Amino acid sequence: MTSPSDGSSSAPDGANGDGPAGGYYGRGIPYLPIAGYPGKLIAIEGTDGVGRSTQIQLLRAWLEIRGYGVVETGWTRSPLMQPTIEVAKSSNTLNKLTFVLLYATDFADRLEKEIIPALKAGFVVLSDRYIFTALARAGVRGVDRQWLRNLYGFAIAPHMVFYLNIDVKSLLGRVLESRGMDFWESGMDLKHGDDIYDSFRAYQNKLLREYSSMADEFHFRVVDARRPIDRIQDELRKNVAAFLESSEKPAEPALSR
Amino acid sequence: MTFSLLHATDFADRLLYKIIPPLKAGMIVLADRYAFTAFARDATRGVDRQWVRELYSFAVRPDLSLYFRVPIDVSVDRLLARRVKLKFYEAGMDLGWSANPVESFRLFQGKVLAEYDQIVQEFGMEVIDAVRSITEQQRVVRNVIAQHVQMRRLEISDDEPV
Repeated sequence: MTSPSDGSSSAPDGANGDGPAGGYYGRGIPYLPIAGYPGKLIAIEGTDGVGRSTQIQLLRAWLEIRGYGVVETGWTRSPLMQPTIEVAKSSNTLNKLTFVLLYATDFADRLEKEIIPALKAGFVVLSDRYIFTALARAGVRGVDRQWLRNLYGFAIAPHMVFYLNIDVKSLLGRVLESRGMDFWESGMDLKHGDDIYDSFRAYQNKLLREYSSMADEFHFRVVDARRPIDRIQDELRKNVAAFLESSEKPAEPALSR
Repeated sequence: MTFSLLHATDFADRLLYKIIPPLKAGMIVLADRYAFTAFARDATRGVDRQWVRELYSFAVRPDLSLYFRVPIDVSVDRLLARRVKLKFYEAGMDLGWSANPVESFRLFQGKVLAEYDQIVQEFGMEVIDAVRSITEQQRVVRNVIAQHVQMRRLEISDDEPV
């Protein structure tokens, strides 16, 4: 509910690709100025089961060996919100709006309590998923895109966003071979039908389309995730190394550990 | 930010389950506090004003909104007369402005009231002087609402001829 007088006067000021890396996308958090923080924020994006966690694990070990301090953060992992989100998911009272807002609350908590302090201290922050997952999931569920971008205007534009790209066919094989299909990852809440396989395929198809529609806007570095794990890792390392070396002040080497 | 977003989540839930269905059924919904509370409270905590307004753009604009205005001293006196302890967040203790709950309440709610004064202008709320007696206030409220509800009834009867 915006004020009746201001109508369509103000230009959109939410998350979009124009924000400088390391700064807020939109209106930001006024009481937390972040300009000049030495840390680097690297987001690894991609749909469910694409292999993000594996890649992050390898990348983290490699960075630490090279002397960087690394902090990991992941979607719905905030101590404040994780239990609430689990409870909400297990009941039938969630709707798309409360779903979106719970995710945003979780993200805000991790941003304030984990990401920003780590950037301030000069860590490399590896984010397993970032706001693009939220934008994609909510986009598939028909939530207003501009409202979403305004909502996430308090997010920080990462220095690098890697998008692990895959096609639905390869994804199906990979998910079935590992842990099987999950209610939410199959978009069963969208009620495309009772068949989880069909629902998964239809839902992930839409989700992948949402992700790729954001690729240019948010400067994704698209990585072909159908290749073997070490090939993907090589590509990530090459890019990260080039970036860290080129940035004037590389992230401070970790002193402890 | 998390304070603001948690309240917005709660509000969205109540909006979709408790407010919109009765509105669809043509009922009158009385909301004790609305998005305006969030605008005042969150801005006082340092959240961007425009961001909060955009966050709540999914809210239904009320047909009528009343603001019960009291000076901070009256507010403090009334609360202390009834209640032994002020609530932690209500007193803005999370902001660390004062270790004394009453002093913190005065500072925090003083700023909240100043925010409300802006909001009243911005959204054209009806201001009720809440220093007056309950009976007097109720008379004013009934007057305001009576005018409004009658107007609405006429509009509805135009739409739905029986």
